[in-house]
Amino acid sequence: MKRIDDTVPAFSAILVLALEVVLAVVLQLSGLWVTMILVGALGALFVRRHRTAFITGFLGVLIGWAILYAYAILTAQGLAVADFFIGLLGLSGLGWVVIVIGCIIGGLLGATGALLGRSLIELIDDLIGGEAESQSKDSSSMQDT
Amino acid sequence: MMKRKVANLGLSLIGPVVLIILLTMPIGPLAGGLGILQPVGGIFDVGKGVTHPDTERVYVPGVQSETRIIVDEWGIPHIYGQTIEDAFFGLGYMHARDRLFQMVMQNYLAAGRISEVIGGMGYAIESDKFQRSIGLARAAEATYRWYVDNAATNPDVNYSLRAINAHVAGVNAFINSMTSENTPIEFKILGFTPEPWTPVDTFIWAKMMTWGLSGGVRDLYREMIRAKIQNSTMYSEMFPDYWPYTVPIIPEQYNLSLSEYDDAPGGYPASVVPPAVPAAAEAQTDLIPQEKLDRILSVLSSVIDFFGPMEVVGSNSWAVNGSMTSTGEAILANDPHLSLQAPSLWYEAHIVVPGVLNVQGGTLPGTPGVLIGHTANISWGMTNVGADVLDIFVEQVEPANHPGQYFYNGEWRDFEIVDEPIHVKGGATIDFNVSWSVHGPCIDSVVPTFSLDEYSTPNLSMNWTGLSVTHEILSLGILNRANNLTDYFDAMYWWDSPPHNFIYADTEGNIAITVAGRFPIRSGYSGYFPVQATNDSVGMVSNIPYAFNPRSVNPSQCYLQSANQKSIDPSTYGFTILGAQDPGYRGRRINELLDAVTTVTAEDMMRFHADVLDVSAREILPYVLAAWSAVGSNASVQIMVDELVGWDYRMEVDVAAPTIWTVLMDELRDVIFDEATDLGVSAGSIGLPVVEWMLKENITHYFDDQSTPGVESRDDILVVALEHTLATLTADFGPSVDDWIYGDRHTIYIGHLAGLTYIGGGAHRGGRYTLNVGWSWEVRGGPSRRMVVDYGTSPDYYVTYPGGQSQNMFSPHWDDLFDLWYAFDTVTEHYGYYLEYNFTTAALFEGADDGTMIEYALVLLPRS
Repeated sequence: MKRIDDTVPAFSAILVLALEVVLAVVLQLSGLWVTMILVGALGALFVRRHRTAFITGFLGVLIGWAILYAYAILTAQGLAVADFFIGLLGLSGLGWVVIVIGCIIGGLLGATGALLGRSLIELIDDLIGGEAESQSKDSSSMQDT
Repeated sequence: MMKRKVANLGLSLIGPVVLIILLTMPIGPLAGGLGILQPVGGIFDVGKGVTHPDTERVYVPGVQSETRIIVDEWGIPHIYGQTIEDAFFGLGYMHARDRLFQMVMQNYLAAGRISEVIGGMGYAIESDKFQRSIGLARAAEATYRWYVDNAATNPDVNYSLRAINAHVAGVNAFINSMTSENTPIEFKILGFTPEPWTPVDTFIWAKMMTWGLSGGVRDLYREMIRAKIQNSTMYSEMFPDYWPYTVPIIPEQYNLSLSEYDDAPGGYPASVVPPAVPAAAEAQTDLIPQEKLDRILSVLSSVIDFFGPMEVVGSNSWAVNGSMTSTGEAILANDPHLSLQAPSLWYEAHIVVPGVLNVQGGTLPGTPGVLIGHTANISWGMTNVGADVLDIFVEQVEPANHPGQYFYNGEWRDFEIVDEPIHVKGGATIDFNVSWSVHGPCIDSVVPTFSLDEYSTPNLSMNWTGLSVTHEILSLGILNRANNLTDYFDAMYWWDSPPHNFIYADTEGNIAITVAGRFPIRSGYSGYFPVQATNDSVGMVSNIPYAFNPRSVNPSQCYLQSANQKSIDPSTYGFTILGAQDPGYRGRRINELLDAVTTVTAEDMMRFHADVLDVSAREILPYVLAAWSAVGSNASVQIMVDELVGWDYRMEVDVAAPTIWTVLMDELRDVIFDEATDLGVSAGSIGLPVVEWMLKENITHYFDDQSTPGVESRDDILVVALEHTLATLTADFGPSVDDWIYGDRHTIYIGHLAGLTYIGGGAHRGGRYTLNVGWSWEVRGGPSRRMVVDYGTSPDYYVTYPGGQSQNMFSPHWDDLFDLWYAFDTVTEHYGYYLEYNFTTAALFEGADDGTMIEYALVLLPRS
């Protein structure tokens, strides 16, 4: 069995970022923020380092959500809704803060999802690698016999 | 190596887990968690919910045929159904679509379940206990059962039940099809999912309205005051049952035929000859220990008062016949005063079923019918009667020897114990039970167990007409199809609770008013104070016959008016309508306005709605100013008095005099009634007409300040009141006249039901006793809906209310009607109104549309 990293090609960070932006927008249309973890994890398939996965996951979802917030602001009074929300905390007129916090939350979902995905991939690959190694050892010893 | 990978995975799991917890956990009132901040599927979707295509087709189970709902420029639905079921299905759907959060909050509050929505914060649990104690939900179930039991034999009941069931189906059709875009933002913030609506829910809210308008524990307040004063003469002078100078509602009584209506409203038994009743002064005293009384009243004061305190629950209405109008046709005006809230208590709707129904006006979200409005031929308005239809019975108990029992008709009987567990969102369920006696639920069940053994058993039971089976929805069902006086009389027969004055006008030129409601006839006690009734000879033994309810039809004075004042002059009426009712200043003002004119127009009626002349100021202030001229000398007070001299008694926002007068009203009572305040009775509980009477009649005893060795005169004490007024104004607002400008102090504030936002904030005209009423500095109650009906060349219906049709604060219909309601035009001297669209078919409406009248059409289609 081939390791995941040997199967899935590594892309440049920019390309992965673009992919994650698109995925974040598409999956968020389901209305389930938890899918952003999946976006990060999927992006982690195409990079090889935790740090890159974290950054692309964070920025990908952040930008994806920023696009959706911008659309909400332009078409559905998004800033007014944000102003209303922060007004509940006694901070009227700071709706943009809600948008920024929202983007950061989205980014963190993507980033932590990416870390999780990358770690999971590496663990699985290790398991597969270990297994392959032991299978290779087994086949060598059989040949020796 | 493998261990490191496992450790990496473990560490990387921490991030998502922490985020999931953070985004789903309740944070204070944000029970929905921070996850609602996501750009799609959270709170940001509500902004999309305010837009609609020109024609929106919705396929729903339950509707029988295509039902076209035209939503006009004000967001008002005009529902055109082929059947009663379809029309009320449409109304239920629109109620839920525009006001679901309000409906749910109202019902959870009324049913004593608000802790399930908002958790155990602050007042919620106390409120739930109180609502369970008064048993509204139980009474609603009994009322619904009555409709089910009688639908087969009474066609009108059958009609109402069909309407109720269809309305419920419409509400549920919306709940079941809710999307993130039209889910109220409040549900998202609170993390709450509404349960399916039921027919009993319809009655729960009706019961809550009934409680707000005719409930309360006035007997206990009276008892507390009487116990403190302990002087029956002083009590009756300070708290008269008939305010001085009152102009009662009924100018000429008009009885109906006793053979046609031989019982009381709602089909309850009636007596033509009431038994003699002992005078209030003879009522038994000391039935309730003062400590217990104080504790109960303290608990009740902390409970949510949905409609605001009783003093703001008032209303104005009047009608003139054709002899007083230039067109020769009648005009009717009405503005019910209630607690102002966002969204409003009112929801405008027009419901049409060809050949059966064409009714338009103010509905209450959750109730299948128009409460105030008009059909094609008649119109009606409402004002609260404010009569006392609730008595407190002190059950005789002996907890030591007869635990859980009370003595009645010669035997010890068990209290019925009703378990009322209170579920608290995010908390433990609280065990709670309510004791019921033959008279009703023990309202002191809400009070925690007392430290003293003899008080530990709840024994204050409440006998309230509103807790019986009531028929207000049946009455509305008939009234909504009424087309003449006879229909109106038939509808009023079923209106048993809460008692209301229904003013009426029609296309034939008739005007009428009925003090509608079931008024109990008491035996063996006055009804003013708590009473101990150990047998059935003492109690509410019968009712005033409907035929003899106070009523007037086409009186010789050519107009009728009501403003919550005394229904009828007690000296001319053979029955007792208990309670002082409203002090009567608004009634006096309406009377003098209508007396002073020979012809009036609809626009005059609008000016009367906006009238802010304070009759109490006009009657009392001259005595104060005369006293100052006679004995006043303080230079600082003189500056304040200068503002009052020449004031036209209008509570306008750009002058200081109304502020001074508002403070002076309280100071006058404080200095005059030191006899009461010294005994711990608030002078503010004494009506202003008593002050007016004492000044005009110069009742010298009360003017003397008991704390000084000398004897003060009327003038002396009035000058003291002025000095106190200056001190209060300076302390509260500042030393300068500029600090006292009324509009800076008297502002309108219409709070959101869950406290999330508000409407208003600006200066507000009017005062406590003006037609355009505005109680308290921050006005939270007042004209909840203004309507003028002009039966001129064509019937014109002018309406507005302080709010808007939509519950969505991002919709233009959140507060567009408030803008009309609030905008006072100094040229026309009245507020804004919209002219109702009253097309009898959808095709006519759409054909007449010039592009501005219709916002969109919603078509409900059957889904198999």
